Amino acid sequence: MGSQALACRSGMERGGIAVQHYLDVIVAILPFLWAGFVQTFLVSLVAIAAGSVLGFLIGVVRSQRVPLLHQLFGLYIHVLRGTPFLVQLYIFYFVLPNTGIEALQWSSETAAFVSLSVYTSSYVAEIVMAAIDTVPKGQWEAATALGFKRLPILALVVLPQALKLTVPPMSGVYVNIIKNTAILSVIGISELTRQGEISILRFPSDVLFIYGVIALVYFVYCYPVLRFTRWAEHKVGGTRVVNLD
Amino acid sequence: MPAGNGTPRFVKRTPASDRKAIIVAEHVRKTYRSSDGRSHLALAGVTAQIGRGEVLVVFGPSGSGKSTFLRTLNALEKIDSGRIVVDGVSISDPGADLNRLRSEVGMVFQLFNLFQHRTALDNVILPQIVVRRRPRAEALRRARELLEKVGISDRAGHYPSQLSGGQQQRVAIARALAMDPKVMLFDEPTSALDPETVTGILDLMKDLAAEGMTMAVVTHEMGFAREIADRMLFMDGGLIVEEGSPQQIFQTPRQERTKEFLRQIL
Repeated sequence: MGSQALACRSGMERGGIAVQHYLDVIVAILPFLWAGFVQTFLVSLVAIAAGSVLGFLIGVVRSQRVPLLHQLFGLYIHVLRGTPFLVQLYIFYFVLPNTGIEALQWSSETAAFVSLSVYTSSYVAEIVMAAIDTVPKGQWEAATALGFKRLPILALVVLPQALKLTVPPMSGVYVNIIKNTAILSVIGISELTRQGEISILRFPSDVLFIYGVIALVYFVYCYPVLRFTRWAEHKVGGTRVVNLD
Repeated sequence: MPAGNGTPRFVKRTPASDRKAIIVAEHVRKTYRSSDGRSHLALAGVTAQIGRGEVLVVFGPSGSGKSTFLRTLNALEKIDSGRIVVDGVSISDPGADLNRLRSEVGMVFQLFNLFQHRTALDNVILPQIVVRRRPRAEALRRARELLEKVGISDRAGHYPSQLSGGQQQRVAIARALAMDPKVMLFDEPTSALDPETVTGILDLMKDLAAEGMTMAVVTHEMGFAREIADRMLFMDGGLIVEEGSPQQIFQTPRQERTKEFLRQIL
């Protein structure tokens, strides 16, 4: 009985030491994780903003079915959606500079921003076009019959109705983009995952713990966006889900 | 006379041939091509006129081309060949200002097509501001006036999804009238309505006719046609089979096809 109590106490002590150890690790890596999170936040924000603007323009142009432009942007979208982001990133960072063209000698930051924005735009463009196509043809016809020109129809009648429909699928894309920033670590962007890997070099025995903390930070960032998606779906009503794959 | 709001038709209309036509369509042909390469001849050479102040009713079986014909008159459908002249302007010419033309020709659709993201009032205001460039205050005044006229002023702040079909169609008619059109095209305006709301819309159209509005109406409502049409066109297979006054069409139809169709629907 005495030996059992002893074993129990030493177990508690071991537990206490472990908690203390993990706290020490967190305190040690926190500044780096914070710096990584800030970088992740900025890259994802820029990619989401630039990608949305670019994708919106492409989606609107594509919805108008202008003969050559429609196919050209279609190719752009399908190439981007049909290849892994990692490969696209390598092409932007390692292959384009090899062309010898001065304007394509990008820093890793520029390559990261541009590739992720372009990647984002391909999804946004599809969502925007699908939403515009979903607005009933009768809305176009009524406005046309009243004497509206094409641009006012788009701006005043179709887009206000279509943009509402893009909200739920768009937030799904945004979560995808936030998670994809992790891939940027391969070209040396010191975002969250990269900072985690550096921390692991300092505390090699705590791999699982550190990756766990990193995953938690991503989750804390993404979850509100996902919740927003659910809320927006409810708010906007039955919107078809755009497949991300 | 059971006309809406008891407005009598005091205007004795002169025959269409005696008036200057506001719309002239000559040998209009239209083919629909589907994506699988099949084509369907919707209009096989239609020649017709609408006189100023005239009420023309177009009827016929589904697929006869009557709606397509109406939609060519404000260039919602491009025609393959033929000529359409609206108020002296040939709209089948490549250089025609179609937006200007369309603002002179009001259209009312089977499915109303109100702007879903705008209230009833805004639906009537928006085209006045965008197309007619009226100041907002003037557009608002005119919109209230028209919603009153079509009997829906108490629903001005409602969105289309909050209105019944009949109410939406009233707003749609007000919206078309807000452009002060020279002619109104009605494309089966009561086909999507509950039977009890049909009468209200038809009465409203009778009032418009009594005010002297030029109207082309595609409809299956033969009682309405008999009452207010100056002239009727019977279409089948993309062609005008027979044309005449309601009296002549209903009592002494000349073509076998017309007789057969009237037997089926009356």
